[in-house]
Amino acid sequence: MKKPLALAISAAAFAFTSAAMADDPKEGGVVNTIIQPEPPGLVLGMVQNAPTRTVSGNIYEGLLRYTTDLEPMPQLAESWEVSEDGRTYTFHLREGVTWHDGEAFTADDVVFSADVFHRELNPSARAVLQHVESIEATDDHTVVFTLKQPFGPFLLSFEAGTFTMVPEHLYAGTDFRDNEHNDHPIGTGPFKFSNWERGTVIELVKNDDYYEEGLPYLDGVNWHIIPDGASRAVAFENETIDVLPSGTVENFDIPRLAEMDNVCMTEEGHEYFSPFAMLWMNNREGPTADKRFRQAVMYAMDREFAKDVLWNGLGNVPLSAFGSNARFQNDDLEPYDHNPERARELLDEMGYDGEEITILPLPYGETWTRWAEAVQQNLREVGINVETQATDVGGWNQRLGDWDYDLAFTYLYQYGDPALGISRTYLSDNIAKGSPWNNVEGYENERVDELFNEAATAFPDEEREKLYREVQEILHEDVPVGWLMELGFPTLYRCDVQNLVTSGVGVNDGFKDAWLDR
Amino acid sequence: MVYARLILMRLFKAVIVLFLIVIFNFLLIQLAPGDPAAILAGEAGAADQEFLNQLRERFGLDQPMYVQLWHYVSGIAMLDFGYSYRLGVPVFDLIMDRLPATLLLTGTAFVLSLVLGIVAGSMAAARVKKPSGSLIMALALVFYATPLFWVALMSVVVFSVYLGWLPAYGLYTVGAGHTGFALVLDVAKHLVLPATTLALFFMAIYTRMTRTSMLDAAQQDYVKTARAKGLKPSIIQRRHVLRNALLPIITLAGLQAGQMVGGAILTETVFAWPGIGRLMFEALQQRDYNLLLGIFFFSAALVIVFNIITDLVYSLADPRIKKGAA
Amino acid sequence: MSFFARFAQNRGALVGLIILLLIIAMAILAPLLFPESPWRMVQRPFLPPLSQDGFPLGTDTMGRNVASGLMHGAWVSLLIGLVSTSVALLIGVPLGAIAGYYGGIIDDILMRFTEFFQTIPNFALAIVLVAIMQPSITSIVLAIAIVSWPPVARLVRAEFMSLRNREYVEAARLVGQSNSTIILRQILPNTLSPIIVLASLMVATAILLESALSFLGLGDPNVMSWGYMIGAARTVIRQAWWLSFFPGVAILLTVLALNLVGEGLDDALNPKLSRER
Repeated sequence: MKKPLALAISAAAFAFTSAAMADDPKEGGVVNTIIQPEPPGLVLGMVQNAPTRTVSGNIYEGLLRYTTDLEPMPQLAESWEVSEDGRTYTFHLREGVTWHDGEAFTADDVVFSADVFHRELNPSARAVLQHVESIEATDDHTVVFTLKQPFGPFLLSFEAGTFTMVPEHLYAGTDFRDNEHNDHPIGTGPFKFSNWERGTVIELVKNDDYYEEGLPYLDGVNWHIIPDGASRAVAFENETIDVLPSGTVENFDIPRLAEMDNVCMTEEGHEYFSPFAMLWMNNREGPTADKRFRQAVMYAMDREFAKDVLWNGLGNVPLSAFGSNARFQNDDLEPYDHNPERARELLDEMGYDGEEITILPLPYGETWTRWAEAVQQNLREVGINVETQATDVGGWNQRLGDWDYDLAFTYLYQYGDPALGISRTYLSDNIAKGSPWNNVEGYENERVDELFNEAATAFPDEEREKLYREVQEILHEDVPVGWLMELGFPTLYRCDVQNLVTSGVGVNDGFKDAWLDR
Repeated sequence: MVYARLILMRLFKAVIVLFLIVIFNFLLIQLAPGDPAAILAGEAGAADQEFLNQLRERFGLDQPMYVQLWHYVSGIAMLDFGYSYRLGVPVFDLIMDRLPATLLLTGTAFVLSLVLGIVAGSMAAARVKKPSGSLIMALALVFYATPLFWVALMSVVVFSVYLGWLPAYGLYTVGAGHTGFALVLDVAKHLVLPATTLALFFMAIYTRMTRTSMLDAAQQDYVKTARAKGLKPSIIQRRHVLRNALLPIITLAGLQAGQMVGGAILTETVFAWPGIGRLMFEALQQRDYNLLLGIFFFSAALVIVFNIITDLVYSLADPRIKKGAA
Repeated sequence: MSFFARFAQNRGALVGLIILLLIIAMAILAPLLFPESPWRMVQRPFLPPLSQDGFPLGTDTMGRNVASGLMHGAWVSLLIGLVSTSVALLIGVPLGAIAGYYGGIIDDILMRFTEFFQTIPNFALAIVLVAIMQPSITSIVLAIAIVSWPPVARLVRAEFMSLRNREYVEAARLVGQSNSTIILRQILPNTLSPIIVLASLMVATAILLESALSFLGLGDPNVMSWGYMIGAARTVIRQAWWLSFFPGVAILLTVLALNLVGEGLDDALNPKLSRER
């Protein structure tokens, strides 16, 4: 199964290099793609679900975009400066940008979006705003953010989904969630909202007044809604659909689809999110409260098998808490290789008596169900008595929120910088019932708290590096959660859709630069 | 008019039953763990308590149960089915969007199973001692015992994957932009597999029932009388035997028709048919309470309506039933 | 004619009985022929049938032995079928008996209650119940029982209504037997025959219901049932048709056998006046 994939990937690489030296981009054409599941709404920021980010990332924009190496690129902000002490960020906005309804985009929109709109509606934005002391528009095209202390990842927070720029003239003073314009999103992006036929398709059309000369090349993008995974594969096969964003087809279909003629595949486009699969282990009670048990679980799991059989060899077995896309990863740690012997030793050491524990699969599709089955087998083989409990999404949310579990699958976004996506899992003041996204396992370590908090606001980067290295050593030893996989989310597309992935968020804003070679 | 009074009585009872069903389902669904706010928040990948509170307030979930129930029931009384929390669209609109697809599927399956079942059953009754008769009955038994979702999957494998004759999924070819007659043809092609697999089970039942009824009826006195009168056998079959044989079939057909809205979940899932059944399943997973309750309401209403129709048809068909006895 | 002789007269019923015994044998022999858990990932995934010794039906998406799953699944299906039918009987028989015996208002109320359950679409209700209780063998059994009891109640009620005016019942009343004694000792034993026939059909339906629920992913995740196997194979049906095929055939044969046996029981227990078959 690996060989055809290797072929496909090298074909993709070839397509990329040839695209780089390719002919001039052709204008025109409409790309048909898929969005799954159907987004609950399209006003980005008000809704932060993944499907909304994918579609609306082409309608709305943030101040910055990011390369696949997570370096900031200008978007609505043309240039920016950071003060010596790391506390003041000055953004110079592009001139001549208009909203889709013709009004001018100014610094007032930025202040409104960040300080009012997102503060009220967007939890991820709120988390960042905690570090912000003030946001000021010093003139029509300059915005100054003043922070309470230096905050290393601040520059990484300006992606379209965290601080989406929304039109002040349409939203100020209104009840945001009931605003009449929610049905017809107005942004500054390369594509305008055209039509949403629920359950069928979301249509975006080219923004003729887009501020970047010549862009976008495409006339439009149609996001089709096809609820069934097998149907989506069929639609791609019979060429109705040109682009399959990640997660829209079951992993089992990917090798077959990738081998088809004129089909390319890329793993790029998720670096900003860095999806990371983990195994919650209840640190509070049961055998999982003992760190030797948790280490045994890590040794018992055959993560390479899961990667090969369930994820088609895509993705990466993580070394520890920090994924390989995360900044400041400490790669000097001893890996937790598949070692059932060592697992049994640890279980003996702690005197595990065969007490039954439960495992909760992630209710998001066949791959996750199979993965839970595989892990259950791995654990049984070292003598851990484990039973699977099925839940649907509602049940899973509830049980995690209530801490009613022993082991549970999950995956989160690491967002590149540890202060944005990683620390939230381990900080003890992030322990609160009712959410499956905070410190669900109940890990409490004073030193870890200290290190994370200091490192978030430490300055410069070398300081942060030292602190993060130490915290990873502690986490690696304590194993508060199981680190399962850095997920490889491939995007499948017809090779004649050129230049699709040009940023760390992939198709979420990729259609801006894409063109059709037809 | 006796009929009018009958119908009115039934309708009145029906309203009460519907009302009770609404309350029952409302309470039942609240028992499921999790709520729509938590699920929406979960999909956002990041949520804090403020976000959850905002959503719950918006959806009215922070109010006590009896208040929510009262709101819902009084809404239903005005035929206001509320809003889908998740999609922000009125439940009624969502249901009306998907209902035609389901009715097309189950309606076709209904007609198919009834017609083919009665024909096959009559044939089997006529050939009662011959091997062809036994063959028909054996096939009927096999179709009766076959799990619906499995035969659906197998038919996809055979007719779509290997033979490539028929499309495997969906209502129409996405993105092909067919209109008019081409669209009708496209939909018809997509309809063949799902409708046929859905029809198999009931077809088998009607076949067996028809055969039994006809064999039973053929021995009744009035048939012997007709024969003695010298009527042709085929006329006897059609006019006397069939008519009486149809009575239990009518009962069952009424039952099947009533299940038309709620009964196609499996078929719709396997064939990705965009109908009410799938909508219900999705609504359940997303705890979209209003939508789920709305669908239950429609299903139950349809069952009740068809029960009433069945009783009427039955009493019309059977001259022996006194009109006063209900 | 004895019971068995009457039963054996129906050739279909005999065939059904043989098939049923084979399935039961499969369930019993499973731990002997395939002592390891069917969940163990023991080979390369997607092996076709007959390509390797010890794996006559191939392997599935995770490299698990399909033949092992099939045989262990027999036990699951039979167990769930029997238990859920028993629970449905436990609900339906008392309700039907009381309604049929006492008549009047009690009958009215109980019948409205029964009708109420019959108005909600069966499968939809089962799905909601399993979702509420979260999938496990217990919740599946309960869900199936709850949607299956109404026909039992109706049947028992009809029987009781026709039997309660018989002479031996009158006699028992005159002698002073209490109502509950009459119900349990006099009438109920005479209704057993139709109940048994219905029960055999209900086991078949229960097996179909369980497999449908497992197919949709609502089955107990620790239990490898035939329905689960078909459901898990759905996404890979193009690569591995055999993963759906064999469990489906197994379900088909079991349900068929149960129906045939049910008909045979009907003939044996309720001999009707001779008529053309």
